[in-house]
Amino acid sequence: MKPILSVGAALTAVVLFVSSCSRQPRRTPEIVAVAAAKLPDTPEDRAWRAAPEHLAKLIPQDLVEPRLMTPSTPEMKVRALTDGANIAFRLEWSDADKSDAPGPSQMVDACAVQIPEKIEKDLPDPQMGQPGKIVQVTYWRADWQATLDGRGDSIRDLYPNAAIDHYPFESKALEPGSAAQKEMALRYSPARTLGNIRSGPRNQPVEDLVASGPGTLSPGPSLGAKGKGVFSPQGWAVVICRKLPEGLEVNQRTHVALAVWQGSRQESGARKMRSGWIPLVRRAK
Amino acid sequence: MARVYNWQLGREMSYWYPESRPKRQFAAVFDINKCIACQTCTLACKTTWTSGKGQEYMLWNNVETKPYGSYPLAYDLKLLEMLDAQQWSGNRYEGKTIFESAAAGERVLGWRPQAQDYAYPNVGEDDCAGQVDHGAFLSLPHVNWFFYLARICNHCTYPACLSSCPRGSIYKRPEDGVVLVDQGRCRGYQECVKACPYKKVFFNPLTGTSEKCIACFPKLEQGIQPQCFVNCIGKIRLAGWISPPKQARADNPIDYLVHIKKVALPLFPQFGLEPNVYYIPPIHAPVAFNQQLFGPGAAEAMKTYRNAAKDPDLAGLLCLFGSTEMLVARFRRQGDFVAGSDEKGATVVRVPVNEPVYLRPAADPKNQLVRINCP
Repeated sequence: MKPILSVGAALTAVVLFVSSCSRQPRRTPEIVAVAAAKLPDTPEDRAWRAAPEHLAKLIPQDLVEPRLMTPSTPEMKVRALTDGANIAFRLEWSDADKSDAPGPSQMVDACAVQIPEKIEKDLPDPQMGQPGKIVQVTYWRADWQATLDGRGDSIRDLYPNAAIDHYPFESKALEPGSAAQKEMALRYSPARTLGNIRSGPRNQPVEDLVASGPGTLSPGPSLGAKGKGVFSPQGWAVVICRKLPEGLEVNQRTHVALAVWQGSRQESGARKMRSGWIPLVRRAK
Repeated sequence: MARVYNWQLGREMSYWYPESRPKRQFAAVFDINKCIACQTCTLACKTTWTSGKGQEYMLWNNVETKPYGSYPLAYDLKLLEMLDAQQWSGNRYEGKTIFESAAAGERVLGWRPQAQDYAYPNVGEDDCAGQVDHGAFLSLPHVNWFFYLARICNHCTYPACLSSCPRGSIYKRPEDGVVLVDQGRCRGYQECVKACPYKKVFFNPLTGTSEKCIACFPKLEQGIQPQCFVNCIGKIRLAGWISPPKQARADNPIDYLVHIKKVALPLFPQFGLEPNVYYIPPIHAPVAFNQQLFGPGAAEAMKTYRNAAKDPDLAGLLCLFGSTEMLVARFRRQGDFVAGSDEKGATVVRVPVNEPVYLRPAADPKNQLVRINCP
């Protein structure tokens, strides 16, 4: 019973925290990154109370095909903390359905934080940047979170009744875990062979990406991205942490754009709810 | 959208990208009349390409029984229903393609199968079009029919998968027209799964990328036909290269069957993709059904095939199906033999148009016994 009690207690804590945040929102028209000695790893951490909340309004991505024609997630609550080297965002949005199992026609919940690569007056296009004006995107996905939270990485973990005849790379003739066995297994997974970071396996539920226009999203230089998402009856609360934007001194501003995907509404890729540029200011306190 | 020419429709049409035909186009002809649905092609492909994790449900090659079979479930009926009734005027398609029917915000008219739609890959197997009552086999010509439709990726000239990908992760190789998903670039949005009317792009839930038939391009590059072709028990398949109609050559096997004899037809040309797998329609199925699947040329193609025995060149070429592992770029018939050659002109196969037949009387008076002639 102990684990059940502790899970229950944790869930209660999340619910209480979420409701306490919504009861007393100290809201700001911009995202204020408040200084913190240590950045929280989880969305439930009480340290988030030090940061004011920004309510980001979201609009459907309707500039490039395929578009999202029906609006879904209307808004997202955002808080930010920084320890001077990294910046952590706490993103929270309503979602009635947890979608964390990928499959045919099964999209997963996700969110992303986008920041211009350079702090300059002339901002890139808010929708994925533009040629010559790169944006950095830190992207979190619910299915990656699920595997890091303990779900296995096999078809039976997604479809318990799946029938599997044989995997050649798990033949009895091959010693499990041997170099030959690993090399053969990789050959049967072309995306992993090619180093597609989308394909895992991974040690964080987030990834560092860059873009310079719609359709150009690609792996970017490491910004040390890490994160953690927790689902509750209210929806998702997600922490996304990355390096502080280069040159963002105290009291200086850059900008942030946000995006959310609801898997249960078949949102994926360009079909998303997004914000415009939102000012982000770094404060000493 | 750009305007491109689709010869299968006899007109220009709208497409996401401008017309850009490859240097040569991989193509194939499947003779439906010879398929016995042994699924050897399916297994040849499965064991070669999709034995990995996340590929368990994928059949890049499948064989379904028509009219009721389909994989994934109702892939064809759903789209035909969405597209609604459309018209041909002779050989010109007056209706709308799936590109021209795309709703606002979409690139292509399409739908995405659910996981359970892949659960019964041989649904409808051997189900014929009507109930065969006791004794029905005696009343010929029979009105009840079915046939087997073997399917792979059509490596279309205007691929819907390619046009739907917002990342440009799908490309058509300029050297052979093979359509591939870049496994290093794909991010698994499944737009291609939704867009392909033939549902020949599959989402791998464990790598998070979409995967599809690659026409065994490592074999093509060596002048060898793909796995599903060379393993075909019924010898129903011939792989090669197709030219645009105006550049058709009479000694190119695919050109001859598709452009000159017009005995091999594309599957669902009305969708507008200019697919490059061509079918010799089943001659025992109703013309109307064949026309829905293969377009307005179905009746004439059935007639041509029925008369193939009286057409030595056509009969000879049909004998090259399944007769060699090598890709046959050219063919020629001389007397009772037909020969196939590669692109350099070297003969790779030579077979008789008519196999020698020996008839042996069952009764053997010399030894005072009766023999059974086994085929």
